[in-house]
Amino acid sequence: MRIQVRRTGGFAGIDRHAEVNTSGRADAQEWQALAEQAVAAGRGTPPIGVPDGFSYQITVDGKTVYCADPRLTDEQRKLISRVLKEGA
Amino acid sequence: MVPGMTTYGGFEPVFCTIIPPHVLDTLSQAEDRALAGKARRTLERDAFERTHRRLTTVLGAPALAPPAGAAEDKPHRTIYDARHKQDLPGRKVRGEGDKPGKDATVNRAYAGLGATFDLFLKAYARNSINGEGLPLNATVHFDEEYNNAFWNGEQMVFGDGDGEIFLDFTIPVDVIGHELAHGVTQYTANLTYFGQPGALNESMSDVFGSLIKQYTLGQSATEADWLIGAGLLAPRVTGTALRSMKAPGTAYDDDVLGKDPQPATMDDYVRTGRDNGGVHINSGIPNHAFYLAATALGGQAWERAGKIWYSVLTGGELDSKASFSDFARLTLAQARALFGEGEELQAVTKAWEQVGVPTG
Repeated sequence: MRIQVRRTGGFAGIDRHAEVNTSGRADAQEWQALAEQAVAAGRGTPPIGVPDGFSYQITVDGKTVYCADPRLTDEQRKLISRVLKEGA
Repeated sequence: MVPGMTTYGGFEPVFCTIIPPHVLDTLSQAEDRALAGKARRTLERDAFERTHRRLTTVLGAPALAPPAGAAEDKPHRTIYDARHKQDLPGRKVRGEGDKPGKDATVNRAYAGLGATFDLFLKAYARNSINGEGLPLNATVHFDEEYNNAFWNGEQMVFGDGDGEIFLDFTIPVDVIGHELAHGVTQYTANLTYFGQPGALNESMSDVFGSLIKQYTLGQSATEADWLIGAGLLAPRVTGTALRSMKAPGTAYDDDVLGKDPQPATMDDYVRTGRDNGGVHINSGIPNHAFYLAATALGGQAWERAGKIWYSVLTGGELDSKASFSDFARLTLAQARALFGEGEELQAVTKAWEQVGVPTG
């Protein structure tokens, strides 16, 4: 499973992008479960965020959903921070 | 059943949660008040999506009364500590009149809210964010290594930064002022946070954020640095700030951060879908226009240029979907109304001309 996260906006307006490929990873199942829950709670179009809030685009195996601060589900927040931290 | 909700023959209301939120958003802003009301109530019921905060930015904030017995000319500040979690507002750590504590972040937020309140009251006779003594609430230490600050429609939220790229977001007083100014915009012109009105919304926050810093330091337009977020970048980052109103596009140029993408004039206007249609990018253009007008006039920028911009923002004629040109035309009208056919009108006219925004 290929998980990509793009973060845009924020006070600085600086983009960040990272991705994780779960194949061959020992924790692949955990990633997949998290990604599925995050995508299920996402939206098909970008929400208008709060002023200076981050906007996110999550793409899992080609399917893209959108979400924005501060209204992320716990799974979305967890997935986004893990991908941006551990991803390349 | 939600009190006040209209039902039809005992059936559930026509609006239910299968309607996508973006459609509800559009509906809730509809001209038809009954339709808008129902859509809004549906949105409000949708606890999972936590749409309340969204509604306050899309539709304007609900009226909040100042505390009983509150003085007219004093702020009512409360600082909360999220203790590195994401729950808002978090634990109350300092209320109005409380002595400074050991946490410098809390103290800076408290002082920054006070400075913002002061500028709006003394320069523009505005009693707090909504003009009616709205309590000022801020949460600090939001999340872990959080590289951002934002206004959620009701309060300010500040992250600590990761120490690698950004430091604590309460460090620059203009960042605190910027967030609070989003509140002022929300209660007045309520500029849509997308495209040109979104870039104007951002620019209003940079303009008043910078004015708050200048007012606090007692600086004239020529003495001011006209930077947004000076002191926010970590030492290893090559840059002086996040944005420059004096020279948009020159605030940073770094291996990790990239280069400051702001244009100074319409020739370099950036078309993009990211960042809500480039709200933090194209704000460079109206930012630079303000800088040009303010420095042409000299003296204290909040007095003449600031007064003109403030009057446009709060005057009731600025549409929530205003373009740069719409805004520019209103600054000319306000310059004339406030100061007549003098150097103010000339400075403002020339400023828009220089950044390539038509006012005719």
